[in-house]
Formats: sequence, C-alpha cells, structure tokens
Amino acid sequence: MTLLRPTLTSHSPELRTVILERLLRGQALLPDTPTHVMEVVGILKSYGVVLKAYAENLCDISERQFLVLFPFFKYFNGEITIPKLLRHWWHDRINYEYAEYCMRAMMWHGGGGLDAFLDSAEFRQLAGKAIAAKLRGNPLMQLLNQLFPEFLLETVRMLCYYSGLGQFWTVMYPIFLTLSDRYDAGEIRSIPDVVDHIRAGLIAEAHRPITYSVKIHGQTYDILPPSANLTFLADTAIPYIEAVFLRGTPFFGLVSFNAQAQQISREQAEFSYGALFADPIPTGAAGIPPTLLMQDMRHYLPPYLLEFYRRHGRGEGDLRVKICQTFQKSMFCVTTAAITALAPYPWTTTDPQEQAANRAFYETWLDRLETSRLWSVQMGN
Amino acid sequence: MPLLSLLLWVPLLGAVALTLLPSETRGQTYRTLAAIVIAIALGVSLAIARLFDPSNAAPQLIEVIPWLEPLGLSYRLSVDGLSLPLLVLNNFLTLIALLATSVHLPRPRLYYPLVLLLNAGVSGAFLADNLLLFFLFYELELIPLYLLIAIWGGARRSYAATKFLIYTALSGVLLLAGFLGLVWLADAPSFDFDPQLSTLLPLSSQVILLGLILVGFGIKIPLVPFHTWLPDAHVEASTPISVLLAGVLLKLGTYGLVRFGVQLFPQAWQVLAPLLATWAVVSVLYGSLMAIAQTDMKKMVAYSSIGHMGFVLLATATATPLSILAAIAQMMSHGLISALLFLLVGVVYEKTGSRNIEVLRGLLNPERGLPLIGSLMIVGVMASGGIPGMVGFVAEFLIFRSSFLTFPVQTLLCMVGTGLTAVYFLLLVNRVFFGRLPNELTDLPPVAWGDRLPSLILATLILMLGIAPNWLIHWSKTTVDLLTPTVVTLPTL
Repeated sequence: MTLLRPTLTSHSPELRTVILERLLRGQALLPDTPTHVMEVVGILKSYGVVLKAYAENLCDISERQFLVLFPFFKYFNGEITIPKLLRHWWHDRINYEYAEYCMRAMMWHGGGGLDAFLDSAEFRQLAGKAIAAKLRGNPLMQLLNQLFPEFLLETVRMLCYYSGLGQFWTVMYPIFLTLSDRYDAGEIRSIPDVVDHIRAGLIAEAHRPITYSVKIHGQTYDILPPSANLTFLADTAIPYIEAVFLRGTPFFGLVSFNAQAQQISREQAEFSYGALFADPIPTGAAGIPPTLLMQDMRHYLPPYLLEFYRRHGRGEGDLRVKICQTFQKSMFCVTTAAITALAPYPWTTTDPQEQAANRAFYETWLDRLETSRLWSVQMGN
Repeated sequence: MPLLSLLLWVPLLGAVALTLLPSETRGQTYRTLAAIVIAIALGVSLAIARLFDPSNAAPQLIEVIPWLEPLGLSYRLSVDGLSLPLLVLNNFLTLIALLATSVHLPRPRLYYPLVLLLNAGVSGAFLADNLLLFFLFYELELIPLYLLIAIWGGARRSYAATKFLIYTALSGVLLLAGFLGLVWLADAPSFDFDPQLSTLLPLSSQVILLGLILVGFGIKIPLVPFHTWLPDAHVEASTPISVLLAGVLLKLGTYGLVRFGVQLFPQAWQVLAPLLATWAVVSVLYGSLMAIAQTDMKKMVAYSSIGHMGFVLLATATATPLSILAAIAQMMSHGLISALLFLLVGVVYEKTGSRNIEVLRGLLNPERGLPLIGSLMIVGVMASGGIPGMVGFVAEFLIFRSSFLTFPVQTLLCMVGTGLTAVYFLLLVNRVFFGRLPNELTDLPPVAWGDRLPSLILATLILMLGIAPNWLIHWSKTTVDLLTPTVVTLPTL
C-alpha cells in the first residue's frame, strides 16, 4: 500500500459497465443526481472566480516579470502598496502558488504543440532576440547568460507556460461562471447539461490561437508567434488535462517517502497522481498543494453550497476536504466534456461500426481511469 | 482558620450534599457542583501555599485535635514542602478529572460524591501527621476508587477492581504492620509522626519494619513485581479515573517512601538504599520494555507510569537533599504528564472507538482527524521523554544529576529507560497520528472544546513548569534538608 493511493476502490465489472453505458448514451462519468448538480455547479462557480485571479496573475507574470531573476512582487499584479504587502504577509490573499504548481506540472510533462515548439530552432531564435533585448545595458545578466547560456532560455520556456496556462484559464473561467449563471436561471438541471455546457465552451474556443509576446524597451518581441499555429484545445487544454488531471506529480509532502520505497515510477508516462487520482483526505496537511486551491475556493462558495457543507460531516471543520471531494466530482465532468469531445463519433450515431469505435475509445479511457477516484465518486449522493 | 481541615471537610461535606440532591437532578448540575467544591478546595490549597513559608523546613500550619488517645490516634495535620505540592496537584487534577467527565455519565448521584470522597482521602493522607491517621486515610481512598472502577469501568471492570482492591488492601495491611511494629517496639506513647522513633530500635528491627513498609508502598507505586494490578485498573477505569489514578493515587506510594521510609527509618534506609536503587532499575527497564510491547495505548501509558515511578525510587534511594527534591519534582511532573496522556488517550478512544495502535493511523489529519489532540499528544510524549523545555526534563535531569554520584551504574541504566520512553512513545505517535487516515476513520465526530480544554490546561502547565521550574521546586528546597538522613555511623545489625 502506498501513501499516495491508499484508497483504491475495488469496483465490480458491473459498475464499469454502468459507467461505460452512460458514456455511450451521452451522459457523464459522474452519476446524474440533483445533489451532484448543485455541488458541481457551486464548486465550479467558486473555481471560476479563483481561476480568473490565477489566469490574470499568470499572464501578468509572463508579461511584467519577464526575466526578472528575483520577482519578489510577482503576486502583486503591478499594484505594490503597503496594505497589500501587509495582507500578503498576513496571508490574506489568493494562493497564486497553486497556479504555478499547475504550470510546472504542465511544463514538466510537456506534450502538445507548445512543448514541441519550445524545442524548435525558431523558438531559440525568437527567445534569443528577446533575451538580448532584455540584457541590453545589464552586464551582470550578460555575464550570467555567457556562463549559462541555457538558463535564460529555459526561463523563457517556463514563461511560455505561464502565458499558455494563463490563456487557457482565461478561456475556462467564463465557462464556469456562465455555467453558474445558467444554473441560477434554471437552464442547467442535470450533470449532462453541465457536461454539454463545458464541452460547448471548449469546442467554441478550440481553435483560438495561443500567442505570447513581451514588450521590452518599448518594442514588442514575439515568443510564441501566430505563425506557430498553437491553438487552445490541442496545445493547452489537452496537455493541461494530461498533466494536471491525469499524471500530476506526487505531492512534495509525500514524495520523499514514496521515492525511498521505490514506489514512484521513473517513467512520467506511468504517472497517475493527477487531480482525478488524488486522495482528498490529506487536504490541509503540509505539502499537499491542492490545499491552496481549496483554501482559495472556500472564500467564494455560493451560499447554497456552503449551507450544504455545513449540514454534513464536521460542518466548516472539514470544509477543505469536502471542497476537494466536490472539486474532484466537477473535474470528472470536465474530463467527460473533453473525452466526449474527442470521441471518434457522436454518441447519437446509429452505425454499429461507429458505435463499436466509440465503445473501444471509452473503454481505453476507463482502463486509464482504473486506479482513479472515478469509482469512489459513484457512491454517495 | 483551620485551612488544612478545610481541605478534608469541604470535599467530604460536598460529597454528602451531592447525595442529598433530588434524584432527578441532571448530570451537568452534579458535575458543576462537584467542580465548584473542588475549585474551593483548590483555592484553599493555594491559600495554604501563600501562607506557607518555604524557608522553614519544619511542618507548618499544624492542627491538632485529641481523638482516641488510648489508641495513640490523634487528628494531627500539618503541611511541609513535600506534602504541599502534592496537595495542590491532588485538587488540581481532581478538577481536571471532573472537567473531563461526561455529563451523560450514568448514576451521577453516586459518581461525583465518590470522586469528592477520593479527593478528601488523598488530601488527608498527605496531611496526616499521625501514622494511624495516615493509615485511615490511605484505606479510605480505596473504597471510592474501587467503586469508581467497578461501576463505571470497562468490560472487565469487576476483575480489575477486585484485583486493585486485593493488592492495595494487602499494601495497607503491610503498612499497618510496619507502623504498629514501630510504635510497639519503640514503646512510643502515640502514633504521632516522630522521625527519631526508629533510631531507638536495633538496626535489624528497623530493616524488617522498613521492609514491610517498602513492600506496602511498592504495591501502591507500583514497583515490579507488585505492579500487575495497575495496567488492568487503568485499562478498565474510565478516563477521569485513570487521570486520578496515575496523577495522584500512585503518588501516595512515592510520598510514603519519602515520608515513612527515608524520614522515618533514616538508618535502615541507608542499609537498603543500594538494593532500592537496583529495584528502581528493574522497574524502569521492565516497565519501559513492557510499554514497547503493548498495542493498547492506555496499557502503554500505564506501563510507562511503572517505568517513570521507578525514577522516583532511584532518587529516593539516593536520599540526598537534591535527590529528594528531584523525587518531588518527578512526582509532580509525572502527575501532570500522565494525566495529560490518559486524557488524550481517552479522547482518542471516545472518538475512534479504539486504542489499538495497530488499527489507528493518521489521526493528525488536519480536517478529518484529531489534529489538536494529536499535537497535544506529541507535547505529552516529548515531556514524558524528557525533552528540554518541558517539566519532564527538569525532573529527570535532577534525578540523574543527583543520583549519579551515589549510584552511577543504576543511574546509567535508568537513563536507558529514558531512551526507551522515546522508543515506545515514538512508536505510538508514528503509528497512531502520522500517515494516511484510514477510510474507516474519515467520519470521526469533531472534538468539542470541552474535551480539549483539560488537555490544553495540562499541556500549558507542562510547558510553563519546564520553562520556569523554580515554581515547581521552591516550596520544597528547605524541607528536603529535614527529610534526608544525615550521614551517621550505622550500628551493627
């Protein structure tokens, strides 16, 4: 038994069949119940608010903190005031560190066109120009660049991920906020409605270009130019889901123990520590990064969801664990939206061959989710 | 005002008053009233501490009422630097135990008067300045404690209570034999406490009488091999009673060693001291090794008590002013630490339904576990292991520092026992509180502030006395000179 995956739920073949049939009928990985709808919509509303802040900060860092080696004020979005500094030290703020944690996971796992472009000669040339412009009149940085020529280049790669993830979340947060508005208006009544809404948002922005440029000494330098043809769905959304939902990284608080026990694969492709696999129970403990996200979301919970949490478990005493559990349910809805959007054929097809192809596609996904929390979220409400 | 008598009569009258309350009175009311009574007693003991002159080694605030003079029994109470800290400890821990008692406890009309009776009995034993009066109080506290275990204990409460009664009744018989022998052989006119009495006897008689008393108190402390009643009693007793048992009742034994061993038989004590130091080593090591072998948290803490009381015996065997001061410090330290540990084990058991360290895990989980209880447990085990900055360090350091020159080998072996304390308590903390909370324990009920408060108070005191140990020992600094035997040339056996 590992510390990271102690809660594998033994599930019956019948349950797998039920979930598979649901997917084939155009429904979701998460069972459709009124409580699930309320929980998922409520949590995605608070997630939307937090995501907006994360996205703005990531974009701000990529633009304003370009090659700033000691970005002390990177979480201030350019507004450096004494009251804000005091709030920061008092920790009365959004935990932007979580956004960086996701960014690093995404960069580490790579994948998609963004990852490929960052290894291209074109990128080296474009980044080199920006670096040279930034270093002009700065002999110390020039010396650093001479000594370690790959260091600043790698830093620019990371800033590309700051920007890429910022742009991805800039698209995502309005989807979640409008979902909540539609729920309040009575337009969203079921989990399939939630999935449809998210999928429609993803598809609508699928070909949105992902670009990145910085302004140095009044001149604009392209880093990810439009000619790279990077797009929202293929080059940020799918790598994000792969890196953050599926693979993830073992949490720092537990990694050393498990690494010593030789329980962590050296192959990144074999990682299954993502959001869909994460154990919500340690939330709140030291070294568990999602704690930061749960802490942020708790400030923006809609009243109906907060009331629901107050009536269950330890009330507000275990709020972060309950938020994490609900968040995981919502992520299964986002995953459903993504995989159904990628399915070879629409679920409405009547062609037996197309149906068989869809079945095989979904079975592959269920195999991949074999050790995830999918089976646990089938229980309860 | 007869303050010492108030320490007896306030809880005694309180006990009587509680039994007179209407039968439909709620448990909460009983608990509140009992707590008020003990709070008054604690206030009285603090008032005594304020009146007490620490620079005066002799017994103070003496109260004497002739009683059964033909029997040599008098109502003679006094307080000195040995008994004063223990009196305060008794009232303080009784208050803590009352706060830790569930308001839903069955038969509160009997329970709370028994706790008050127990408190009065223990205070009386610490105050008694007459051997027979001490014996009466010593026996008096057996009855309520027996009933408190037998009625409100666990599944095997009857067995545990009976075993406790048999052992401690035997202890009483041996003490009585020792006291009677001393008074009759020395041809004393009364049972009043007189440190010179034994010196009138041949050394062989002194050794025999001291032997009786040592075994009597050895059962109460308890020392190996007279200890077997204690783990059973602790496991079956409810949490508040375990607090009193470990925190106060065992101290009657160590108090008796100093008062009726070192002080009453100074010459014989010097003869038996090396043997006692070796006995301390056996108790320390056996208790510690047994603690390592336990899977029940409560039994582990109980065996830990046996080990830690061995330290008191080592210091008492050394019988220098510093070592007796160390023994008093260890009594106080163990009283606070063991009370904290038993309280915390009680909360864990109440919330999880288990005390098995092979079942429990991950209770430090910040949202679904018992994080504050776990944190306090870490404080408690650190204190018990003698980590600097806590009261346990002060007491144990004093013991080892004072005993090393007299009994170097025994002291070193007892220091191994301190190391073993770290072993078994780290096992406990690591297994029970660290790691991932098992799925079966993810829906534990929350811990109310009422459950946390007694432990928080104790933990605070443990830290405060660790930082400012003078508060702990300055009452006794002068008294210990009077308690310890001056080096004399021993008569031949």
